[in-house]
Amino acid sequence: MKRFLVAPLLLFWSLAALAAGTQYAMRVDGLACPYCAYGIEKKLNKIEGVEKIDIDLDKGLVTVNVREGVELTESQMDKLFQEAGFTYRSMTKQPL
Amino acid sequence: MYKSRTDKTAWSVWGVASALLLTGGTAWAHDPIFGIGPHVLYKDGVEVAPEVHVDKKGGERETELGVEVTYGITGDWAAGVEAPYVRKKEDGETSRGGGDASVFTKYRFWRHDTLGAQESAAVLVKVKLDSGNENKRPALGTGTTDTIFGLVYGYEGRKWYRWASIRYRRNGENDAGLRRGDKILFDLVGGIRPKLTGYLEPDTVWLLELNGEYGKRAELNDAQLPNTGGTEWFLSPGIFWTKRNFAVKAGVQIPIAGDLNGNQEETDYRAKLVLEWHL
Repeated sequence: MKRFLVAPLLLFWSLAALAAGTQYAMRVDGLACPYCAYGIEKKLNKIEGVEKIDIDLDKGLVTVNVREGVELTESQMDKLFQEAGFTYRSMTKQPL
Repeated sequence: MYKSRTDKTAWSVWGVASALLLTGGTAWAHDPIFGIGPHVLYKDGVEVAPEVHVDKKGGERETELGVEVTYGITGDWAAGVEAPYVRKKEDGETSRGGGDASVFTKYRFWRHDTLGAQESAAVLVKVKLDSGNENKRPALGTGTTDTIFGLVYGYEGRKWYRWASIRYRRNGENDAGLRRGDKILFDLVGGIRPKLTGYLEPDTVWLLELNGEYGKRAELNDAQLPNTGGTEWFLSPGIFWTKRNFAVKAGVQIPIAGDLNGNQEETDYRAKLVLEWHL
């Protein structure tokens, strides 16, 4: 009986692992008001594979979850935040 | 007879011009309600802002509905147009119709970003076109093309805001030979966000502005008109409420001091309401 339960669980886990993407956390300066940050959300949403965006104004942190295989680069983010009216500082990434 | 008619025309145009001056401030994101700020729009962003202005001065009352559309050319440079619809009441006569349209641009030439704060400075140029109907009584347009130059500094933090700006308005001469006096406008503004809110939460900022206006005398065929020009100071409380990409800005200008030349109606109050969407 246990075998029948474990097999589907293992299958589910492996599928989830395969579908897992990456979480990028970007330090951004100049983030003072929520209204002004909308431009960041709009620009990030134009990138194919971006699935979730979170903005922490107090920490100056923009967190983005992307689909498996999608990569955000330093130069891409530098340009994106410049065009949104802010200053990009650094980025870390971790698998989801 | 001709002179009296010309004088009436001159006064009507002067009255409209004075009233329209309050539209010299162009609405932008987290900027003051009546003054100007250094804010621009993100690149390729579009801002749509329907607005209503009310100006009450003795027996005169003007209500202006307008819509402003702004486009972000780069992250530091924006441009737009403003199209007003005016209803004006003066000396028992009322007129309504399209007012003078404007085109404007703002360039943020300096920006210093730190954690949770942005400090910046910008220049602004606005050209008010000769598109309103000046033959109606009261006139809806000034019959001139006027240019406004502005220089502004602003600090925006998580809790506190401050701005300082100066604008110079260069007025043109109309077909009747009337040239309204040039104006200088000063603004000192402070703001506070009482509750620090997160990204998608409704956000409120309270503002208090000190707006000064100095106007030179108008000239009719190179002769100075005595009952024109002077100085007015206003204290202007306002509110800026936002949620994600939608904002409501509202404020009232209350006159606190003035020294107008000759015999002129003093401003009773001015009010402004702006709805703003970032698209």
